[in-house]
Amino acid sequence: MVNVTLKVNGETRSASVPPETTLLRLLRDQFNLTGAKLGCDVGDCGACTVIVDSKPVNSCLMLVGQVEGREVLTIEGLANADHLHPLQKLFEHFGSLQCGFCGPGVIISAKALLDENPDPSTEEIRDALGGNLCRCTGYTKMIEAIKGASCILRGEEVPAVKSA
Amino acid sequence: MKSFEFFAAKDSNDALTLLAQHAANAKVKIIAGGTDLLADLKFAAHGPDVVVDISRADDLKNITITEQGLSIGALVTHTQIMRSPLIRQMFPALVAAAHTIGAVQTRNLGTLGGNLVTAVPSMDSGPTLMALEAMVTIAGNGGRRQVPLSEFFVGPRKTILKPDELLVDIIIPEQNLGKPTHFLKFGLRKGQALALVNVAASVWVDWEKHAFLAPRIALGAVAPKVIRAPQAEAYLEGRTISPEAMAEAGRIAVGDAKPISDFRASAEYRRHLVAVLTKRALESAWALAQTRRLEGSNGKRNA
Repeated sequence: MVNVTLKVNGETRSASVPPETTLLRLLRDQFNLTGAKLGCDVGDCGACTVIVDSKPVNSCLMLVGQVEGREVLTIEGLANADHLHPLQKLFEHFGSLQCGFCGPGVIISAKALLDENPDPSTEEIRDALGGNLCRCTGYTKMIEAIKGASCILRGEEVPAVKSA
Repeated sequence: MKSFEFFAAKDSNDALTLLAQHAANAKVKIIAGGTDLLADLKFAAHGPDVVVDISRADDLKNITITEQGLSIGALVTHTQIMRSPLIRQMFPALVAAAHTIGAVQTRNLGTLGGNLVTAVPSMDSGPTLMALEAMVTIAGNGGRRQVPLSEFFVGPRKTILKPDELLVDIIIPEQNLGKPTHFLKFGLRKGQALALVNVAASVWVDWEKHAFLAPRIALGAVAPKVIRAPQAEAYLEGRTISPEAMAEAGRIAVGDAKPISDFRASAEYRRHLVAVLTKRALESAWALAQTRRLEGSNGKRNA
């Protein structure tokens, strides 16, 4: 067994798990944080995306031993019941998700993008979502929501988007 | 995933000690970014007995200019390559190649050393480094050795690394610093696609004779390992620069390639791509050489 202690959404958490456990399994099975999803389990789909030490990664591709002492942010750390992150508000506003399975990963990827680049172009947003597969939406409404959230986070008004 | 013993190395020396302890009587795997290794282990019938994690070995994460040239630590991630001011200035081709690998999440984890050690013939890190005649440093418990990257690869997923050895860094030799280079990849999608063919070309220019000097062409996904295109290089050496010469070099490079047909593309289509991409990579490397000359920059730092 491996003893691991790390910070998850600002809280120090510990567990004792087999060494072949991935960060994703640790979050879901030990800490009951089921926002990050188990999709492909090989780093293609991005449904398991979390932020580790400021960078978005596939949590299915990290072993628990590799996250000892690191800081992890999951979708659960982005908001609480009373307060949604601007990205979440605008994903709701624009109807950016359909089945929603990819949603936590997409929103975490978008959050990591806006942390580094407060005013991304459409091309930059597409690049940032290149590792998040969504088979429902076609991405257009997600890109509108991410642009809108970037406006809010910069303290500007969200420009009106013509509805289809 | 099958269970294994897990050891985290503090630095490269610690990793070598762990390898010396375990490699003789157990199957040991080194994990760096894990983007290839874990994806494989989840489906492997027989996993390793021991996994040595080197992801915290900070001494393998540097990008520096040494007496030998540009040294890129084996644990430098693809994201770090894309953001390094030094690499962006000297070798935009390395930045372009890194950008075509996986997606943001995998580029944040995946390392240059890992991409080379995995030795998949379609790897995107290989061709640019081969076209720049990169060397690799290998550390073992008997000491260190350096070999050309072209001799590091043995075949699909096979390198010369012994079980108790570690890839330490990749060196682009001093004489090639700032050499105009271009990388091109042809995949079936913009994101997360494996290369059907990838090509890199590097050229120096004899400006008085308007001729190519030391042209180097490397091809990926068209042989059991990343290869150079010696016939095409020989054709261009000292030859007057012209669109026709670059197109002819592309056609000759087809003879240097040995592609196979698989579910991604036929051998015939890959041969066609070799000709087109080689020509275009040469044209772009030549264009970069001209731009740098106009700017009075040789592509080197502080130049």
